[in-house]
Amino acid sequence: MAKTYDYLFKLLLIGDSGVGKTCVLFRFSEDAFNTTFISTIGIDFKIRTIEMDGKKIKLQIWDTAGQERFRTITTAYYRGAMGIMLVYDVTNEKSFDNIKNWIRNIEENASADVEKMLLGNKCELNSGRQVSKERGEQLAVEYGIKFMETSAKASVNVEEAFHTLARDIKTKTEKKLVSLLEFKLKQYILVPNY
Amino acid sequence: MQNQEHLLQEIEGIDDYWGPTFRAIYDQDDDSRKFIDTLDNRIKQYDKEIERMCNFYYQGFIDSIRELQQVENQASKLKKQVVQLNSNVQTIVSEVTSAGEELVKARQVENNIQMAINSLSLCLPALSSYSKLQKQMADKRYYPALKTLEQLEQLYLPQVSHYKFFRQIIEKIPKLRENIKESSMSDLNCFLETIRKFSSKVGEAAMKHSVEQQNFDFGLTKLKKKKDSPEDNSDDEDSLSAQDLIDFSPVYRCLHICTVLSSRDTFDAYYRQQRREQALLTLHPPNNMHESIASYCYYLQCIVGFFVVEDHVLNTGNGLLTRAYLEDLWKMASDKVVSIMRTNTAYCTDANLLLRIKDLIMVFCITLRSYGYPVKNYMELLHEIQEHYNEILMQKWVQVFRDILYRETFCHLEVDNQEQYDNVVRTFPYQDDQLESSPFPRKFPFSSMVPSVYDQVKQFIFACLKFSNDLNFSEGEVDEMVQKSTKLLLSRTFSGCLSSAFHQPRLGLLQVIQIIVDTGYLEKSSKSIQQFVSEATGSTGGTVGDDAGITLGVARNDAEHHMYDKMKLKLNEFLDLEDYDWMLVEPTGQASSFVTDLINFLRVVFNALRNLTEEVSVHVCQEAFEHISKSILNLLLSDDIKQLSMGALNQLNLDVIQCELFAASEPVGKTDEPDFSQHFAPLRQLLDLLLSWDWSTYFHDYGQETSKYSHVKPTTAIIVLEKLKEADKKSVFSVLKKSERDKKKLLETVLKQLKQLAITVQQ
Repeated sequence: MAKTYDYLFKLLLIGDSGVGKTCVLFRFSEDAFNTTFISTIGIDFKIRTIEMDGKKIKLQIWDTAGQERFRTITTAYYRGAMGIMLVYDVTNEKSFDNIKNWIRNIEENASADVEKMLLGNKCELNSGRQVSKERGEQLAVEYGIKFMETSAKASVNVEEAFHTLARDIKTKTEKKLVSLLEFKLKQYILVPNY
Repeated sequence: MQNQEHLLQEIEGIDDYWGPTFRAIYDQDDDSRKFIDTLDNRIKQYDKEIERMCNFYYQGFIDSIRELQQVENQASKLKKQVVQLNSNVQTIVSEVTSAGEELVKARQVENNIQMAINSLSLCLPALSSYSKLQKQMADKRYYPALKTLEQLEQLYLPQVSHYKFFRQIIEKIPKLRENIKESSMSDLNCFLETIRKFSSKVGEAAMKHSVEQQNFDFGLTKLKKKKDSPEDNSDDEDSLSAQDLIDFSPVYRCLHICTVLSSRDTFDAYYRQQRREQALLTLHPPNNMHESIASYCYYLQCIVGFFVVEDHVLNTGNGLLTRAYLEDLWKMASDKVVSIMRTNTAYCTDANLLLRIKDLIMVFCITLRSYGYPVKNYMELLHEIQEHYNEILMQKWVQVFRDILYRETFCHLEVDNQEQYDNVVRTFPYQDDQLESSPFPRKFPFSSMVPSVYDQVKQFIFACLKFSNDLNFSEGEVDEMVQKSTKLLLSRTFSGCLSSAFHQPRLGLLQVIQIIVDTGYLEKSSKSIQQFVSEATGSTGGTVGDDAGITLGVARNDAEHHMYDKMKLKLNEFLDLEDYDWMLVEPTGQASSFVTDLINFLRVVFNALRNLTEEVSVHVCQEAFEHISKSILNLLLSDDIKQLSMGALNQLNLDVIQCELFAASEPVGKTDEPDFSQHFAPLRQLLDLLLSWDWSTYFHDYGQETSKYSHVKPTTAIIVLEKLKEADKKSVFSVLKKSERDKKKLLETVLKQLKQLAITVQQ
């Protein structure tokens, strides 16, 4: 059967409540922005197919509720995730501080080789900024992950961020696939089925 | 000788007639000589006698002459004296004569003067009355002028008509009359002009007056108008009535004049005509009247003013206007005003403006009614405006609802303390003893939209009622109207807003579910809304509203459909992610990841469904499982898949088992629905049949309702079998093994039988 995609990557958006995870996702999936704040209940996802090097990549992006009361629901989705976007709000110091906790959460619940990326959202709000770009970069370097400042409202870097994460996952997956193929081929030659 | 003596005596005795004597002498022939001689003797005798006499009288003579001479002197002296005297007299008399002549002249002049005075005194009254007339005309006192004119014409002029200049006046009289008429008409026109200017003031005064009067009648008006009272503290102005504001004298004057001139009919007609035209002008609304209350006010005041003036003229105009005429005019005007107000208010989009227009119309009606004009059709107008007002309110509430829905997160309303809890319970009638006793934070089953919307509905009812104030509609009527509007508000406005709200892509499935839950609570509250309306209107019977529960039905249905659609969309997104390897040799032993994700996701969703009515939640579950089942079956039967291995079939089976397990686990709590896994029956039977290769049972039981495989159609089975066959072909080794060969043979046989069965079924 002709598949509608070549790869399926499951991504996860995490971060404090109100940092704009849903908005980032909304911008990426619908290219739209809604100012009203609606807390995500539990979990939701959006799917968008992108093309990269001639491959169709389906991104299933899970949008989690930042609120503590949904934590049990959301952590269940960590395991399946291949990429995780850690989002904070540049105008909210606390959301930045909490990134540490979210990383710990990932370490506890997600698979070890999950690709991570740090996003400082709402970068269009320069007046209320509490977290400088440098501090974001520094934190990202500390954890050895990529970093971008985004604005779902002004549509800055959202596309780029997802593409970057997708590319990293793709590279990793293809590498794995090659080794797997090699492994299977060896197996096939050595131990024929019939 | 004797004879001769006789003859001589005869001659001496007579003086004449001497002829016969002479003849007698001659007849004595020889005596003639003798006679002459005698005669001569006689003469000589007489001469002697004369001579003696002369000698005797001579002295006397001389004396006489002398005396005569003396007299001559004296006479001349006397003559001189007389001449002197005469000249003296002459000089004296000449003066007297001239004086006399002068006297005569003077007498004549005196006479003339007397005559002139007489004539003039005759003319004088005519002239003075004429001048009076002129003056009166100049003073515009036309009526007295007319009277004067009449007097002049009938009393004075006939006496003096022989004068030329009076003849001129007489000729002028008709012209003067005409002038007077014209002037008074022009005065009337002036009056008409002023009245037009003033009629708004008159109307204003009349309306103010009636508002004041209303103060005593209705408590409501009083309360309302009290707010306005600081504005019109000039009380003296209030007490002015129409007649004080306008000087009606030109009308009366003109009326009198025309009566006198006996052109009363023309005048009446003229006045009515003019006023009718004015009425038409007044009735023509100002441009863009719908924009401000001031122009409405002015317009209605003008009309009130007009009719107040007409009423006054009717009462005082001595038949200038008739009741019938005025009623006719009013009817025409009234219809026009109603239609104009209707058109203009239809443009209005401001509820407050409409409220003020309503008040204005009320005052307008009351005022005119107090003047005896029927205002019945304004009640209809007010009803219409009320409907429009309600429409506008609904429009306004569209925005309100939109704002609420736009801000709404569609999460459970959570309260952290008693104060917040009380707040919610105060706005929205909700009682739950369990919630009452549970610790904070307490979670209401509905979102914050519910109390907000409920509160807004109340606000709407208040706003609706604002219009009914002072309208004197019956309580039942008001109640019915408000109930109707409220129902409309919920069923149309709110439903519409809701429908558009949940079509927003930002809303997730769970939020749509919350909306459905919320509509349920709102519907439940409709009873208390009705009660609230009845209390507010003071009506006893809640006539409307047994069917009020349906009000949100449309929106809810819509929301439910939307929820199904959204769910199916989500399910499709999951199912799109399937990555079956249809030629899989061995199943992996665990469910495909998309199925695991799907079930996890559904678990969360179904959990939220527990708040819905069982009917809905069960239906959602049914729809969901049905959809999954159908989708997987379709996947299996899809033309895109040409070959199918048993391994893949096993993997699929594994996934379906996962789904069935989930479906059987009471995902939305305990329900009457025995088991949702039954929705997988067609797929399950097909998989069982294929995996157990139980064809004998299938053919044996085919067509029986109790058949284990009752859902499997021969055509369906054929499709899958063909795919399996196709997959077998690929296998190079299959022909070599006997078991495989047998299997293949069996497959062929089954296929043949199935095809036959399919044909018979078709027939």
